[in-house]
Amino acid sequence: MTAHAATQPVGDIRDRLRALVAHLEHVLPGQAPIRDFVHHNTLHGLQHLPFREALTEARRLTGARGYLPDETFRELYRRGRVTRADLEAAIAEQPDLDGDAELMAAGDGLVRRRDVIIAGLLHPFRPVTACQLNWQIEEQNALAACQPDLPPESRERLLAAARAHGVEDEAAAVRELWAACLETLGLTHASIHPEELIDLSPEEEAAMAAAPEEDEAAGEARSRVDRLVRKEAARLFESHFDRVGEELTLRGLLLALTGEDLMEELLPPLVRQLSAHLDQGLAGWHNPRRDQGFYAAWRASAHRDYAWLFRDRPEWRLQLERLPEDPAELIAQELRLLGLPEARWEGYLERLALELPGWSGMFLWRHNHPRYDGHDTPVEMVEYLAVRLVMERMFAQRICRHHWRIEASLPMLRWYFRRHPAELSVRHFLFNARLPEYLTTHAQRLVDESQHETAELMDEAWRPAAHLIWVWRQSPAADRPIGRSVFRSAWPLFRLAQHLGLCGAELRAAGPEGAAALLDSLDHLTEERAGWTWLSAYERHYRERIFTALIANHGRGPWAERRPLPEAQLVFCMDDREEGMRRHLEEINPALETLGAAGFFNIPMNWRGLDDDKALGLCPVVVTPVHEVRELPAEESDPAWRQHRERRDHRLRWRELLFRGTRRGMLPAAVLTAAAGVAAPLLLAGKVLLPGRFTAWADTLRRDFEGSVPTRLTLTADAEQAPPTPQRPQLGFTDDEQAERVGGFLRAIGLTDGFAPLVVMMGHGSHSQNNPHASAYSCGACSGRHGGPNARVFAAMANRPEVRERLAARGIVIPDSTRFVGATHDTCDDRVDWYDEAALPEPFRPALEKLSAELLEAGRRHARERSRRFASAPLKLPEPQAWRHVAARAADFSQARPELGHATNATAFIGRRSMSRGAFFDRRAFLISYDPTRDPDGSVLEATLLSAGPVGAGISLEYYFSSVDNDGYGCGTKVLHNVTGLLGVMEGAGSDLRTGLPRQMIEIHEPMRLLVVVEAATETLTRIYERQPPLQELVGNGWIRLAAKAPDAPRIHLFEPGQGWVLWQGGADGLPQVEHSADWFDGHRDALPPALIASAARTEGAG
Amino acid sequence: MSWVGLIPLLPLLAALAIGLRMVTGSGRGEAGETATARIGVWAALGALLLLLLLDGVALVSGAPGTVTLGTWFESGAFTIPVGFTLDGLSLPVATLVALIAFLAQRFSVNYLHREPGFHRFFFGMSLFTGGMLLIVLSGNAVLAFAGWELAGVSSWMLIGYAYERPTATGNALRAFVTNRIGDAGFLFGIVLALLWLGSVEWGAMAERAPELGTLSAGVLALGFVIAALAKSAQVPFAPWVARALEGPTPSSAIFYGALMIHAGVYLLIRLQPVLEQSPAVMGLIAAVGLLTALYGWLSGLVQTDVKSSLMFATTTQVGLMVLACGLGWFTLAAWYLGLHAAWRAYQFLLSPSYLELTGAAPAVNPPSRSRGLYTAALQRFWLEAFTDWLLVRPTRALASDVNSFDQRVVSRLVGLPEGSAPGTTEVVRGHGAAGRLLQWSAGWLNAFERHLVFHGGGKLSRLLQRLGGYLLTVESLLERPVYLLLLIMATFAVIL
Repeated sequence: MTAHAATQPVGDIRDRLRALVAHLEHVLPGQAPIRDFVHHNTLHGLQHLPFREALTEARRLTGARGYLPDETFRELYRRGRVTRADLEAAIAEQPDLDGDAELMAAGDGLVRRRDVIIAGLLHPFRPVTACQLNWQIEEQNALAACQPDLPPESRERLLAAARAHGVEDEAAAVRELWAACLETLGLTHASIHPEELIDLSPEEEAAMAAAPEEDEAAGEARSRVDRLVRKEAARLFESHFDRVGEELTLRGLLLALTGEDLMEELLPPLVRQLSAHLDQGLAGWHNPRRDQGFYAAWRASAHRDYAWLFRDRPEWRLQLERLPEDPAELIAQELRLLGLPEARWEGYLERLALELPGWSGMFLWRHNHPRYDGHDTPVEMVEYLAVRLVMERMFAQRICRHHWRIEASLPMLRWYFRRHPAELSVRHFLFNARLPEYLTTHAQRLVDESQHETAELMDEAWRPAAHLIWVWRQSPAADRPIGRSVFRSAWPLFRLAQHLGLCGAELRAAGPEGAAALLDSLDHLTEERAGWTWLSAYERHYRERIFTALIANHGRGPWAERRPLPEAQLVFCMDDREEGMRRHLEEINPALETLGAAGFFNIPMNWRGLDDDKALGLCPVVVTPVHEVRELPAEESDPAWRQHRERRDHRLRWRELLFRGTRRGMLPAAVLTAAAGVAAPLLLAGKVLLPGRFTAWADTLRRDFEGSVPTRLTLTADAEQAPPTPQRPQLGFTDDEQAERVGGFLRAIGLTDGFAPLVVMMGHGSHSQNNPHASAYSCGACSGRHGGPNARVFAAMANRPEVRERLAARGIVIPDSTRFVGATHDTCDDRVDWYDEAALPEPFRPALEKLSAELLEAGRRHARERSRRFASAPLKLPEPQAWRHVAARAADFSQARPELGHATNATAFIGRRSMSRGAFFDRRAFLISYDPTRDPDGSVLEATLLSAGPVGAGISLEYYFSSVDNDGYGCGTKVLHNVTGLLGVMEGAGSDLRTGLPRQMIEIHEPMRLLVVVEAATETLTRIYERQPPLQELVGNGWIRLAAKAPDAPRIHLFEPGQGWVLWQGGADGLPQVEHSADWFDGHRDALPPALIASAARTEGAG
Repeated sequence: MSWVGLIPLLPLLAALAIGLRMVTGSGRGEAGETATARIGVWAALGALLLLLLLDGVALVSGAPGTVTLGTWFESGAFTIPVGFTLDGLSLPVATLVALIAFLAQRFSVNYLHREPGFHRFFFGMSLFTGGMLLIVLSGNAVLAFAGWELAGVSSWMLIGYAYERPTATGNALRAFVTNRIGDAGFLFGIVLALLWLGSVEWGAMAERAPELGTLSAGVLALGFVIAALAKSAQVPFAPWVARALEGPTPSSAIFYGALMIHAGVYLLIRLQPVLEQSPAVMGLIAAVGLLTALYGWLSGLVQTDVKSSLMFATTTQVGLMVLACGLGWFTLAAWYLGLHAAWRAYQFLLSPSYLELTGAAPAVNPPSRSRGLYTAALQRFWLEAFTDWLLVRPTRALASDVNSFDQRVVSRLVGLPEGSAPGTTEVVRGHGAAGRLLQWSAGWLNAFERHLVFHGGGKLSRLLQRLGGYLLTVESLLERPVYLLLLIMATFAVIL
């Protein structure tokens, strides 16, 4: 942002605002309205930066943390998810940490930088306050015993070292160490109580104020303190006012000076207007000026808002009348009134937008997507900023008038505080620092009184208060943050020395330089460095195990070649949740081959199902489909179809009437409510007490009532048509397009020969009740919707003789003995539904029935595997109960966790299934099929990386950020959520719009960057990397980690940004092997490391 | 029939048990969830089963009418019994209350899993269930008032569920304070009933009401009516309920959607014989109900979030019930109360699925194209700003004046140093007259303590120091308005 200010200080306000709005896209959340929720990198705007730098920048901008808190990492360390070896490796990776540096000698060894850093990561060595130190010494016996969190080996080492220097007992050793800490740092520790400072004698005060000139008289000392207070106030003055427009808005400045947050007052009226403007159909009555834009609508309403009458703000009315028509002009006018230098305007507006990231982001999204979903309300970001500015000033006026009787502008505030330095000083320390209680009470009372007294009278009171605070700050108890001190240096050193097992004599021997080296190493470990080191170690731990498993599995997995033919082939979505389903299926029948690909199956289309009122895009969000496929009744004249349509319309009309009609209106609503009230207790009891059975019963009832209709697809279009556009999509695909889509897909997954008799395309989706975030659980490659229709369309295309003819001409010969079938897998209840089974020729039926039974069994086993992660399911749940349990979750409207979504995602394998089949990956891997032996020039891999890379990275990073700081990047608990404007959720009835993932979705997630392992030669990958800027951004900037597994050898290279390929040195030893997955996961709740699965590696009949 | 008392008692005991578990630490965190949930859910189910049993008895052999368990207290001519009214009105409503409370708690077991406030939530819900059953079943106004207060306190607790958010706590306090006005009315009604009718039992009040003149009956009724209007969020008390949506979805559902908001209407129906003595009060009730219905209808139309929209719809419909009471159609109001409560509970619990339940919105004809009327509806007719202006600001000014009077006049009279000029031998410093007293006694204790210290015995001195610390904490708590209110409530409870 500063770049803006520097390069373009003045210019036409409209151009500047345009540039600003374009820039805001990089800093505001980019989440779409919630029905179109799609996982994306939360920090998408900073993706051009390296991962680590982007996190730092985001922390600066939004204050949100980029790594898990240290305490969480420490917990992971205790649970063995990170080991000391991982930490050492992570430190070795960072040259700037200089882990090998020798800091001091200890006994016959050395203390290296690495030891200090690891100790600092594992234990908090925080500074203490005077009171905390007293408490530690008096209540915790810190000077008589070793620290309670000391590991036994450190304690042994410390006591042994002390004994070697002639100190025998523990208490003496600890006391001696404390003395050594103080001595080497040149400090003395005398216990002092902060309240003792209230009664300073003039002599004491003089001594504090004028330590060097001891003979000065007390009176002079007082005026000296006055001078010092003034000098300090001048510095504070600059620091506060200079931050406006960079880090603060007027609201922030007033908050720092008065402790009052005008946002509390401003938010409700603002949110009412904002959500009324963006509303997508919840309210029944909108601002009559809504179609003239937000500013005009707000202004029309503000003119008629009589709130000023009751709030004693007659000036509002005048101000509102003087507002210009043009929002850009208004912004310039407001910023001039505020008295902000022109160079800082953009910075100020950016800050303003970031104060309500959710609403600002949504407004910007709608600004960038005009006419979204048919809503023609104009949404202009500039108008939003204009309204925010005016409202901020109107509400700031009250605070300014109340406290200082001046206008709310920076020059006025400057003018005032230049004249009242003591007041500034007191306010600063009261609201921005920690004062002891007696000073807080005193200062707060002055702030209260100042609202009734004149400024001149008050100055008499401010001055002594500022004086008292200044004196307190000079005392040892206040611990000024410069130089070494007992609380900030000696105490952490004392704790550190114990953890390193150093005794007092050793510390003394190292001298002040040694102590300084220890402390400096500790200081070097900033929050950011600690977070990064932890994350690197955490990722490494997981990565090592994955690599071990892949190496151990090399050559074990079947279907590297398809000889003899598999019994059937099933193409699943790449989704990590399908890993478990596929593994169980392969264990049940090793003669099946499973493949994976982005779940839209290369068919980007607008889909309009039989019952839909409009077509929705089923493809990754970055693609705009130009084809539409409709599901139509097989026979238009079918009476069953007419009945279905009528009954369904009736049902929906009644539902609409009940849910909406009882919400709006008076007497009709009363009649409806009374009617609905008769059934409500029974419905409620059914839904709450027997969720599974009740929902199943209701579904059956609905199906029986509406009846089902056989349907057909509008699949094929004539070849002679104008090329389709997104505005005028073409109904159906031409024969050539179909062949191209199908052929391209089969080539991408390496299925160009060896077709089994049945090839199943398995789309997926999720269903749940009472879940505003439903789209976050469905297929990410289908814009958060169900991928079943894509599977069905693909299968229908691949079965057409016209298409097969064209494919044969391109070298893909699909024999007549092969049929494609579409199906859909529900990831919530693990049921599989088939499409168009009736159309399947008789000879294929038995095979389908067998496969169907196997899928059912796989679903049961998968349900059991999933149940181990649900706290509400007993740990060792037999399959039938687990099967019912997951179904009941999906049907239960009280369930805030119908399923766990992508919570377990961590890695992605791009390659033949033989690479990973035969090992247990705990549903943590995206599995994408690619055959390196059929892709000599790497073009297929290039396309796969470009399409699957961003999808996987988006899912992984959204989970990452929502997990590391759920308050900052996620949307908090579902329990408080309130659906607003049909576009998002708020907490309660008037908060910022919450974006990201709810807490219920990320609880068990292990936030780390996605590890992508590609089965390909490093040279191929390097060539692709060099050609593709999007991959350079993702991989080179470290948003995902890339590794290459050699197709023909047990060898893995890891790509290190800045270094290139590094050969992985580990081996395949020690990986346990079990017969079935269940033998491995039984009885465990937590994430599990990989193991080899014997039954899935076998190929029955393949020899 | 003495087991009738168990019905409200069961949930109250559950609240007590959950509270004890929270205090002793045995019911904390995820591990304690199952036990806490069981206590709450089974107690509610127990109450429901007992009520169903009672309903069965009533069906077979007629409603038992008034059941008196004993005497609460007696003073001269006044006796206040512990009794329950089990008639055709209270039994169905109580059954519905127990059913909805039971289902909502069952719902919350999954919904609130892993919430840090899980135990707090079930504590509040159980307390509320007990309170609500007391209101419905009680045989006299005093017992009903006890339930009234329990419901109020638990509502305050659950609005402030997310207490780390200042908006939530602010709104909780606001709702609580608004309801205090109603409570004052309730107490006023009770006192007048004791004075003029000699009894607070519903039955006796109904019998003796005709003896009163129109005016006395009106004044007596007015107290109860104010209480009812505040609890049922009628104009001008209406705004508190729109602020009460900060809690978890199930608590919003049963407090403001389904049960508590109907408590006022229930009270009006209970007092039918008294109200009917005063046409003026009936007229007032009807007018308020009509106004509220209009207010809720227009404001509800402009709401853009599901919960607020449901809340205003509820306000509208409860307004219609009040209107019905005002017109004398008490039976209609009673029927509608039950139906509305059931449907609204269902609708509120389903509110997170509104995205699916309502498809693309059909165009609605707005009631007016007027920008003024739209703004008025959007600003909720400035009702809140108006009441603030009318009540809150003058009260604050008064408080501020009293404070400075205390500091500048009383302190000087008592001879204590004004302001904060630091004294030399102070041990603690308090504010206000009570604080001064404490300060004085602490000073005295300090001297005593020094004496002790000089003559050995550090243990006692430390004990005294700690005691002083406790007293200081109590003092500082008392200075906070919330605790002051609690103190006032406690005082009332003692007086009664």
